Amino acid sequence: MNAMVADAAGEGGAGRVRPLILRIKGNSLDDGPGIRSVLFFKGCPLRCAWCHNPESQRTEPELSFDGESCVGCGRCEQVCPRKAIRLRKPERIDRNKCDDCFACADACPGGALERVGTPATVEEVVEAVLVDKPFFDASGGGVTLSGGEPTLHLEFAGRIARALKGAGVHVLLETCGHFRWDAFERNLLPWLDEVYFDVKLVDPGEHRRWCGVGNELILENLAKLVDSSVPMLPRVPLVPGVTDAEENLRAISSLFQGLGLRRVALLPYNPTWHGKARALGRRVEFKRDSFLTKGELARARDCFHAFEVVA
Amino acid sequence: MSLFARAFNKKPDRRRYLLKDHLGRWINWSIGFRTRDDRVQQAVEFRDGQVHVLKAIPADVDVMLEFPAPRDVMDMIRATPDEILNMVRRGRIVIHGNSVLGTLFNFYVSLLMRDGQLKKLARAREADAKAVAKEAPPEGAHERLVEGVTQRKRSLLKWKPEFGRDPGVSYLRDPYLSDLRLEDFPRLQKFLDVHFNTRPEICPERALLLTEWFKDNGFEETREGKPWVPELRQALAFKALMERRRPIVREGDLLAGTTTSKEIGVVLYPDGVGTMIWGELLTVPHRLLNPYDVTPETVEVLHHEVFPYWIWRNFKEKIREEKGNPLCQQIDDRFAVYFLWKTVALSHTVPDFAKLLAKGTRGIVADLRAEMESAAPGEEEKRVTLEAMITCLEGLEAYAANLAGEAERLARACDDPARRAELEELAKICRKVPAHPAETLHEAVQAIWTAWVGLHMENTNAGLSIGRLDRLLQPYFEADAAKVKDDPAKFDALVRRAVELVACFFMRCTDHLPLIPDIGNYLFGGSSSDQAITVGGVTPSGEDAVCDMTYVVLKATEVLNVRDPNVNARYYPGVNSDAYLRRLCEVNFLTAATPSLHNDRVVIDALLECGHEPEDARDWAATGCVEPTMSGKHFGHTNCMMFSMVAALEMALNDGRHPLLEWNLGPRTGSVDQFESFEQFFEAFRRQFAFLVDQSVEYNNLLGLEHQVLRPTPLLSSLVEGTTRAGRDVTKGGAKYNSSGVACIGLADVTDSLLAIKKLVFDDGVVSFCELKDAVDANFEGNAALFATLRKKVPLFGSGSDEAVTMANRVVALAREEFGRHKNYRGGPYVVGFWSMSNHVAFGNLAGALPSGRLAGKAFTPGLTPQAHASENLLDNVRDVARLDFRKVANNVAFNVKVAPKPGEAHADVVEHLFHYAKTYFQLGGMQMQLNVVTSDTLRDAMARPEAYRNLLVRISGYNAYFVTLNRDMQRELIERAEFGG
Repeated sequence: MNAMVADAAGEGGAGRVRPLILRIKGNSLDDGPGIRSVLFFKGCPLRCAWCHNPESQRTEPELSFDGESCVGCGRCEQVCPRKAIRLRKPERIDRNKCDDCFACADACPGGALERVGTPATVEEVVEAVLVDKPFFDASGGGVTLSGGEPTLHLEFAGRIARALKGAGVHVLLETCGHFRWDAFERNLLPWLDEVYFDVKLVDPGEHRRWCGVGNELILENLAKLVDSSVPMLPRVPLVPGVTDAEENLRAISSLFQGLGLRRVALLPYNPTWHGKARALGRRVEFKRDSFLTKGELARARDCFHAFEVVA
Repeated sequence: MSLFARAFNKKPDRRRYLLKDHLGRWINWSIGFRTRDDRVQQAVEFRDGQVHVLKAIPADVDVMLEFPAPRDVMDMIRATPDEILNMVRRGRIVIHGNSVLGTLFNFYVSLLMRDGQLKKLARAREADAKAVAKEAPPEGAHERLVEGVTQRKRSLLKWKPEFGRDPGVSYLRDPYLSDLRLEDFPRLQKFLDVHFNTRPEICPERALLLTEWFKDNGFEETREGKPWVPELRQALAFKALMERRRPIVREGDLLAGTTTSKEIGVVLYPDGVGTMIWGELLTVPHRLLNPYDVTPETVEVLHHEVFPYWIWRNFKEKIREEKGNPLCQQIDDRFAVYFLWKTVALSHTVPDFAKLLAKGTRGIVADLRAEMESAAPGEEEKRVTLEAMITCLEGLEAYAANLAGEAERLARACDDPARRAELEELAKICRKVPAHPAETLHEAVQAIWTAWVGLHMENTNAGLSIGRLDRLLQPYFEADAAKVKDDPAKFDALVRRAVELVACFFMRCTDHLPLIPDIGNYLFGGSSSDQAITVGGVTPSGEDAVCDMTYVVLKATEVLNVRDPNVNARYYPGVNSDAYLRRLCEVNFLTAATPSLHNDRVVIDALLECGHEPEDARDWAATGCVEPTMSGKHFGHTNCMMFSMVAALEMALNDGRHPLLEWNLGPRTGSVDQFESFEQFFEAFRRQFAFLVDQSVEYNNLLGLEHQVLRPTPLLSSLVEGTTRAGRDVTKGGAKYNSSGVACIGLADVTDSLLAIKKLVFDDGVVSFCELKDAVDANFEGNAALFATLRKKVPLFGSGSDEAVTMANRVVALAREEFGRHKNYRGGPYVVGFWSMSNHVAFGNLAGALPSGRLAGKAFTPGLTPQAHASENLLDNVRDVARLDFRKVANNVAFNVKVAPKPGEAHADVVEHLFHYAKTYFQLGGMQMQLNVVTSDTLRDAMARPEAYRNLLVRISGYNAYFVTLNRDMQRELIERAEFGG
């Protein structure tokens, strides 16, 4: 592992990975109420086959290559100490040789080669998002912690949330629900105004198969969150052929009803992640490359007729 | 050339075009042709009805065309008139001498080559259609895209108590008037059909009647051989014009009077640039962009009776003749550096309609007479000036009386009792106003319209503006409403009628168009006459000025969706209500592009910085595009020039040489290899800037003085405070306030270029200045890496960069300082603004690549808008722009924001987002913001399938236009603007 990201002196204790920020997206109108800035963390305990942000899965920084931005100047080839770059190859990078030193990304004039994931301090992150506070205030917006999975770095995320809260900013967490409850309750929950909680599959075996881990912890946490005082919106990604199977959706629906939930968000599948995965040198195994059809969406909504379905 | 001569000499039906007038006099003049290498040297002489070809160019040749090479001469002969103008613009033809005669020569060429020219135009049209079809979204998307615009008006926002309410809204229950739609106004639907289905026609009425009067009564001297006092001459000619014009009451209209004898008329001002259409007269119905109809009679009248009279009697040519074509004028002639509006118009201002409504012309005349009587014996000039104003006001009264007579005549002939009653009412109103004070809303609107017609017969229809229409009309609305407030049905009918009256007024304002010669289609694409209307803001004492009529005007704006009048809204944070700002945003969504939004506090602060009285500053209204005029008190020619700051930058990079013009124009400030620090380079830039400012100001002042001689404006003067006491015309500094307003173009392009030079060359040493300059000169061909670095790795204005904002403020301060050194010919200051009409496209077209990474020929950014790729986050744009030092910018700015609603996004949500952007921008101290609520895909579809989008409004930089009337470069500029969604 690269020395830059090994958390030698930083927070979180020795041996743990230092949290990386993927990016901050301003002026988001889709990730909670009002105008928001979304803070994307890098790293996720799940490995969903259809992950919309594949660049957010791994905890380590990665090298991304976008062929369309490449001007062919060859500086990357010149600076690469491992001879891992070949200008003539369409994918450019020999991922087996590359050791993620990012010398090429620093040299690239057009941003075709980019380092994905940047370390940042709590102060830097907070300062960067607070520039838009006037917009949050005017619109009832705020900051959304997203990812990746913010709870993978509970202490770091908690300190950010706490600072934002102190500055009078509405903080919303988007989570996959896979976290240790006691640490979550201690570090992050007190500073949250709202949580969006994703539930994908009810069957633990299926969940393990498609998402890489079981769902026991997730469902436990869901129930605990319902009992907490923080408003929570459950969300269901509609992945064609996987989560949108009628049996699964009906099971989720009754689970939610059992918990007394009345509102749900459905997140239709978005195939644009294919390009992002390729830029990182990943193979795309989940092949579906089109959006949901109207029929698929209508069938899914049917399963939640007892709920207020929000966009 | 000898073929050309023979074609006239041998053919009587052509030869008669060599005549100057019906008295059988000939136009005698000569034109020379020369290439720079002197390989071609010829002249054509027109003398006493014969055309002669001369081997040598006479020393006293009237006009000479200079070409880079013989090839260009041949190209010109084969070119269509629009192509000729483009050759002039691009420097392939340089005109020395009288440019009106240049257009006369084009007319003669067109007379011989018309058929070929028309074929060429038809081919060009086909080629264009093919090219556009290639870029168009697939046919299948068309319906959805059209729907995305048209479905917006299906649901309208209702006002809710939690939105708040401005105290001045005393009568309207739902100020948003959400139950009124276009379908409720069949009269307006008919007017819109006329508006969109009638091709504008060149209207010779004004030009002919005035020219005849001047021929009879003399221009320079009276019939008795005494020099004319220009004010009196213009007043008498104006009065005669108003008496003789045809009084027209249009079918079904609630207002009487027109600015033109045509349904939609292109009104001509031959003492400005009216003669520019001469060369196009035969082809203008066939040109690609915005064709005009022209009857054969009009061609005859203009060619023989009107235009020859004005060959030397126009602002530009008078200076060429008297001052020997000074350098400052030569620069303007070349289009690439600055464009002086005074060659066209001077009256970018807002008259005092409040006074007219309150006193009537009779009341104003009484004041003028009282002032005349109190004038000291020696003040003859003052007396004559006041007399001229009185004469003009009498001209208005004469026109109103003629309108009343016409309405009575129509009433007698009308079978429909309802319409007859309307006509009788209209006759009564025209018998009363504008002579006497108005007492009802209908009288007030008619009084303004009658005066508006008169003002346009005197002043060029370019940017003359109406002012705070809501406040002007509110007292009359209240007087009407008080009578019916207890009868809900009658009250509702009154509100409906109020909307209809204001809308009729809007539609009347669309009856005339400024003359746009084809070159103007590239310089001012799709511009109408930009009659600005202003609503909202605060009163002169600083109270909330939003009133019932504010919402009535906004309703008219929404239902009509027309480009002119140009509606501007003042919003004072903390004083005006959220309900008002939200409604402004809704109207922007519904119309896609209007009204433009202004931060009242910031504009007023900028005006106060100039030392104006607070009560006057708080009474500002937008003029033409966005520029503030203190209503009725301020003659501020707010668009005296469009000034390319980029030209100064290019000259600084080239040791004073302008690269496209290939002209060693400015001071020698050093070549790029000589600069040792960024500060040295900035100083070079400053010196080039100062040089161009000196030149442009000199020309502006010369043109201003020429206006005093050729066209003083006594009617307008009678409606501007200060002139009566001073006894001086507004063109001579009679107004209370006398500034000149400049539009500085290319702020983002210059800022980003300067920062790129500073960072890459001097701070980080990534590249040498020479290498950067070479890359710029080569339009970045062969240096893709540097190009990519510039586009991706240098902080840009609008990206949320402190450095870029600091640099932008430095450029703002420089502009303000350099223009601030000068006084205008009326004794007033020069003030600067950062907006561009569509000249960011025109100037961009004539500029090379820039260190910002902008490629050669591409448009600059509109107004002070950041580059499209500055940030994906709209808020970065908004924050950076809001941090500019607007106190230095008393001539306002134009900040474009293109927002694309998501498919299916709820009406209320779209409005809510716009509202939050606008509100926060204003809280942060932003000055002005104008929205385009449309997707690039829709615009691309409109390029290919214009018939479905004839009323699609877009904001250019300050004004509104129909997208489909724009030139392709302008359309592409709009498409390439950053599109912000959620």
